[in-house]
Amino acid sequence: MTTESRIPESNPFVEIATHLFLEDIATKVGIAGLNNYLVSLAKNLAASMPKEEYASWSEFLSALSTGQSILSTFEEVRPINEHCMTTFRSPFERGWREYAKRVGAFAPVHREVARYYNHKVRPTAVTSMHVVLHTFREAAAARVHVDRDGVRYEPVASAWVDGEVQLPEGPNLESLLKRAGISRTKLGMLMRNHSDVWLLEPA
Amino acid sequence: MIDVALASLIEDMIEKAGADGVVEFWQRVGDNLASRMGKEAYLGWTSFNVAVREARTAFSIEGEVTPLTDMAITDVDGDVVGYLYAMRQCCYVPTIFRTRFAVGRMSPADQAVTDEYNENVHNIAVCNFCVFHERFREEIAKNISVAGNSLACFLLATRGWSGETKISSKNVAQVNINEDHMRALLRNYECVYALIMRGARIKGER
Repeated sequence: MTTESRIPESNPFVEIATHLFLEDIATKVGIAGLNNYLVSLAKNLAASMPKEEYASWSEFLSALSTGQSILSTFEEVRPINEHCMTTFRSPFERGWREYAKRVGAFAPVHREVARYYNHKVRPTAVTSMHVVLHTFREAAAARVHVDRDGVRYEPVASAWVDGEVQLPEGPNLESLLKRAGISRTKLGMLMRNHSDVWLLEPA
Repeated sequence: MIDVALASLIEDMIEKAGADGVVEFWQRVGDNLASRMGKEAYLGWTSFNVAVREARTAFSIEGEVTPLTDMAITDVDGDVVGYLYAMRQCCYVPTIFRTRFAVGRMSPADQAVTDEYNENVHNIAVCNFCVFHERFREEIAKNISVAGNSLACFLLATRGWSGETKISSKNVAQVNINEDHMRALLRNYECVYALIMRGARIKGER
């Protein structure tokens, strides 16, 4: 795949400004309000992108791994098997690194909103950016059709740039791993050097 | 992706607070970010310009900045009190192209905020990000001192992704730079600003 066919990189300054924008919103609407904002902006983004249809699951996987699908617009997706996907690097890593370098420690509100999301929605966010990422992937997957089926997204595990990993516990995790077709050990291996492991299956 | 999603956030804010509310909001974000960047001090213009070239100053957060050391600004005594600085690429242009590839077209909210700023604050913006950007630079300039003098920033000229240009007559006169020089610079750069020592009496100030 040539570099030209992938979406260009953003300037991290725009991401930093957006983070500050969100921090300012949080001071007015609180953590629950910020969570609603993040969910809504991720859904709006997915809704503004074109729908997709594929004749077969293998054609869909090929589009995912070559960056041609809505789900791989902002991140490099590497399928591990038919249903288990990985993201090598978080699409927010450059922004966060620049934030940490130029501005300082990440504002606590980004982790506070993730804890709220983990409690209210699903336990797979480390920072505010995962709220956006999971919601976007879920809404984007719903815009894809493979043959006559829709596509359903579920996050399995997410790691932040500093190494903190968030994943469901107990039976929920076992069920996800079974559907993803990987073992607990394999998940541990993947999380050493991937930012996300997730599941796509026919809806 | 958060940069592409920003447009929908702005759309939503326009519905709630109007384009003028978004302008105020962006300016406050510019103040907040600048206040978190800390102070800097340099012995003189040479050390400051080297720091800019090596991306060590607060201005470097924006991307690659070129100090135009052949375009010094002098005061009434002929002493150098400032320089012009330029960016080859506007910070927001990659996001505009990313939006083009991901979504298809830029949200009209971008233009609404740009127009509001140009009509009521300063006619220099070519995208909504200029609103945040100009205020951010003005604030960080106050936190940087060169030879013991804090700086002031004047945004002089901008070129948008589709080629439209804006030159600030007010600021160009303030630093005594000819508009033709600005037009020449805009062939090669997308954003040009001046940094001068605060309170300097500029030679030929109009």
